[in-house]
Amino acid sequence: MSERSTRQSFLGESSDATLGALRVGIVGLGGGGSHVAQQLAHVGVGNYVLVDPDRIESSNLNRLVGGTVADLKVRRWKTTIAARQIRRVLPRARIVEIKEEWQGAAESFRDCDLVLGCLDSFAGRRELEEAARRFLIPYIDVGMDVIKAAGRYAIVGQIALSMPGRPCLRCLGVVRDTDVAAEAQAYGAAGGKPQVVWPNGLLASVAVGLAVQLVCPWHEGRNDMVLLEYDGNVNTVAVSSVLGDVAHDCPHFTEVARLGDPWFSVADVHS
Amino acid sequence: MRVIFRINRPLLEEVRRDLDRPHEFAFERVGFLFCRFGALRCGGLVVLARDFMTVADGDYIDDDRFGAVIGAGAFRRALERTLTDALGIFHVHMHAHRGMPSPSQIDLRETTRFVPDFFHVQGALPHGALILSRDAISGRVWLSERASPMSVTATMVVGAPLVLGRTNL
Repeated sequence: MSERSTRQSFLGESSDATLGALRVGIVGLGGGGSHVAQQLAHVGVGNYVLVDPDRIESSNLNRLVGGTVADLKVRRWKTTIAARQIRRVLPRARIVEIKEEWQGAAESFRDCDLVLGCLDSFAGRRELEEAARRFLIPYIDVGMDVIKAAGRYAIVGQIALSMPGRPCLRCLGVVRDTDVAAEAQAYGAAGGKPQVVWPNGLLASVAVGLAVQLVCPWHEGRNDMVLLEYDGNVNTVAVSSVLGDVAHDCPHFTEVARLGDPWFSVADVHS
Repeated sequence: MRVIFRINRPLLEEVRRDLDRPHEFAFERVGFLFCRFGALRCGGLVVLARDFMTVADGDYIDDDRFGAVIGAGAFRRALERTLTDALGIFHVHMHAHRGMPSPSQIDLRETTRFVPDFFHVQGALPHGALILSRDAISGRVWLSERASPMSVTATMVVGAPLVLGRTNL
C-alpha cells in the first residue's frame, strides 16, 4: 500500500491497485459532478471519462468546485476544469474528456466499471441509466432540488444505485413517468434549477462513499439496492422507506433482451 | 486489444452451481454461455453474458482421455440458439481452485479445434471459451473463424461488491 493511502488502509490491502485500475464515467461536471471528480481523485481512482457539453458560466461559480474567475474569462469547458482538479491530486490519471452530450459519445462509457450521473433532467437520467444497464454497468444517480411548498423552501436530494438486475430508478420512484412528461411539457420554459454548493457536496460525498464501498467494501452491509434521501432543512441523510416496498427484481429492464449494441458487428471491432 | 467480460452475479452463481455438480462418469462438466456485445471506442470488445445452457447428463460421452466429452447434439442445441437469438456462444468449464484459471494444453487444443466451427452457424458475432475458477474467470474470444483468439483482459462480476479482474493473460 502506498504512503498516500495509509489513512484509508481499511479499504483493503489491494485497494490501491483496485482503485487505480478503476474506470469511472462522470456525466455532468457541474455542482455535483465536480465534487465527485475531485473526491474520486483523492481516493485514488485512476481512470475517468468526463462528460459535459457546457462551458463554465458566472452562475456556476456558486458551486462548481475548481471553477475560477480566470476560467470564466476564457469560458473553459467544465470537463477541462474537472480534469485539472483530478490531475492536481493524481497527475497520472488517465482522463477522456467528452465535450458534448453523452448520447453522442455513448461508446466511450462501455469500458467504464461504474457511471455516476449528476444530471438535472429526468429524461436524461432515465436514458443514461438505460445505456448503463445495456452494458451491465452499475449507475449511481445523484440529484438535488430546491422545492417551494406552502410559501417555504425545502432543499431535498437523493442518491440512488441502479445495479443491473436490481431495482431501477423507476422502481425506486426517483424517475417517474409523470416527471418526465411534465419536464417535456415545460421544455424551454424554465430557467436553471436552484443549486447550491453544500447539498451538492454532501450528496456527492455520499455517492463517492457508495462507489468505493462497491469496489473496496469495508463492511458487509447489503448495498445492491440503495436509495438515500437528503433533507437539507433538517440536515439528514436517511435510507428511504420506499425500499421496503420495492420488489427485488426490476420489471422495467429485462436485461436479457436489451443487452449490448443491437447493431453490433464484428467489423466494428476491427475498425 | 481490450476484451472485457461482464456477468451478473446471479448468472455466474447459476453457472458455478451447474458445473460443480458431479457426473456419473465425466470428470468435469461443461456448458454454454450466450452473450451479446459492444465495440469499445479504441477497437476493443465488451462481452456481456446473457444466459446459460446446461449440458444434459445424457449428452456426455464416456471417454477417459478427457475431463469431459460431449456429443454433437449438445453442440447443435447450443448453436441453434445463436441463430434464433443472435447470440455469441462461449463454451465454459470450471477448474476447482482459487485464483486465475489457466487453460491446459488440452483446453487450448480442443477449443481451438471446435470454437471456429461456431462461425459456420453464426458468423456475424464473436464466440469463445471461458474457464471459471472458484473466484476468477479467464477466457479467449474469436472474432472470426480464421483469426487467432484474443484473451479476455478484464472481467467484472456485476453486483455488490463489484468484483473486478484484470487478467492480462
